[in-house]
Amino acid sequence: MEFLWDGLVEALQLVARGDPEVLHAVYVSLACTLTAVTLASLVALPYGAWLGLYRPRYHRVQVFLLRVGMSVPTVVIGLLVFGFLSRAGPFGGADLLYSKSAIIVGEILLAFPIAGSLAHGATAGLDRRVVETALTLGASRPRALLTVLSEIRSALVAALLATFGRCITELGIAMTVGGNLLLSTRTLPSTIQHELGRGDFGKAVAPGIVLLVLAALAAAVTQWLSREARE
Amino acid sequence: MATALVALASMLRRTVDSEATPMSIVGPIALFVVTLAAGCTRDGAPDRGLRLATTTSTESSGLLAHMLPPFEREEGIEVQVVAVGTGQALELGRRGDADVVLVHARTLEDEFVAQEHGVDRRDVMWNDFVILGPPSDPAGLRGLRDAVEAFRRIRAGGHTFLSRGDDSGTHVRELEIWERAGGVPEGHDVYLEAGQGMGRCLVIADQRRAYVLADRGTFLAFRRTLELEIFVEGDAARLRNPYGMILVNPRAHPHVNADAARALLDYFTSPRGQRRIGAFRVDGRVLFHPAGGR
Repeated sequence: MEFLWDGLVEALQLVARGDPEVLHAVYVSLACTLTAVTLASLVALPYGAWLGLYRPRYHRVQVFLLRVGMSVPTVVIGLLVFGFLSRAGPFGGADLLYSKSAIIVGEILLAFPIAGSLAHGATAGLDRRVVETALTLGASRPRALLTVLSEIRSALVAALLATFGRCITELGIAMTVGGNLLLSTRTLPSTIQHELGRGDFGKAVAPGIVLLVLAALAAAVTQWLSREARE
Repeated sequence: MATALVALASMLRRTVDSEATPMSIVGPIALFVVTLAAGCTRDGAPDRGLRLATTTSTESSGLLAHMLPPFEREEGIEVQVVAVGTGQALELGRRGDADVVLVHARTLEDEFVAQEHGVDRRDVMWNDFVILGPPSDPAGLRGLRDAVEAFRRIRAGGHTFLSRGDDSGTHVRELEIWERAGGVPEGHDVYLEAGQGMGRCLVIADQRRAYVLADRGTFLAFRRTLELEIFVEGDAARLRNPYGMILVNPRAHPHVNADAARALLDYFTSPRGQRRIGAFRVDGRVLFHPAGGR
């Protein structure tokens, strides 16, 4: 018990003191995740909503592919990105492997199916008459889509936060194509992995605490929004 | 009971190493319960398992698979190998979670013994480090024999160097050489700290065209997939890598399996064990040289 307690105390001290290595890992995690989630969502959310609302040809196949994409393990995504970005791979010349950009590429692949699938789920059950009404009122198709998206915005924000949560906690991509380089590509989860491997329990707990706080914040925002939507 | 706990711990460690999902926890716990049940039926028969904490190099090179089976057969002792970095292996000994350690970082080993966590340290064998780099050799190291001079040139030219950064024996050695070469290079774009195992670091160094210090065994195992070349080798003062075996002090940790640990130490340092170490080959090459009772 003393071992656990000491670890917790050391971790809180590290967080309170603003340990530069922990702070930098926070920065890397947030920068990569926010970039990846933003880029992926810009396409994935309208795409998922389009699938749900308009049910285009082959939409079932597309929804199926999104769901498959949701359950691909992050190490497999990492492997794929590694293959493409490695010097021997097709994009080797870009010199992206073991950089934050490589993590972002991987996290976009991770985020896209989640955001798309959740947007589809939020719109599939929606009354199609909303769209039809908008259209008969003279709205263009993109305009109608935008109207619907704003109707379900709290569901979309929830989708965004879920995607954010998945990306900021992932380890496989960060290790495989980020390389866990200190003060360069070391993220919060890869810090935990690294410090545990060195046998430094306290330094492993500190980023864990930061991740818990971020998760709690995301959950709080989601809950606040869903209450807002109901009232 | 102890066996069951060890099995659970090692399974959980593997689970934590990969990303844990709720399902992947179920397996180890089920196994734990089964092992526990099996253990209870033995009427508390004495647990003869021996836990050896060692570095990844001895396990991944295949040396332990070569050395341990005859010992286990003859002594009737089952050896559980926990292969981690030298730092963590010693930490396991310090906490009494291992009975004997086989590591390579002399300064840490002496500290371990001085703090009375371990007793009876003995030289078992040695292998050697090599300095690797990209074929273009921007620092001009080819043909050098002096490791310190090589590091000095890497630092002076601002060339990229990849550090293990994980408190492993290799990392400790690297830092010792840096110290003599005037200190670790500054800047996290030229001095990369990976904090990963040797094999992973070789891949990163290869991709980033960085210089790297590696043990020869791991490099030989990875050579075919890498562009990296050996530039500096054979510096007996700096690049020789002695492995020591230390018994965890039974006075500090009364529950350790001291008799079995002593038997393993005797086996590795006996003429027969030493011959067996020297006979171990990977691709026809000797990886570990017997210490010869030095």
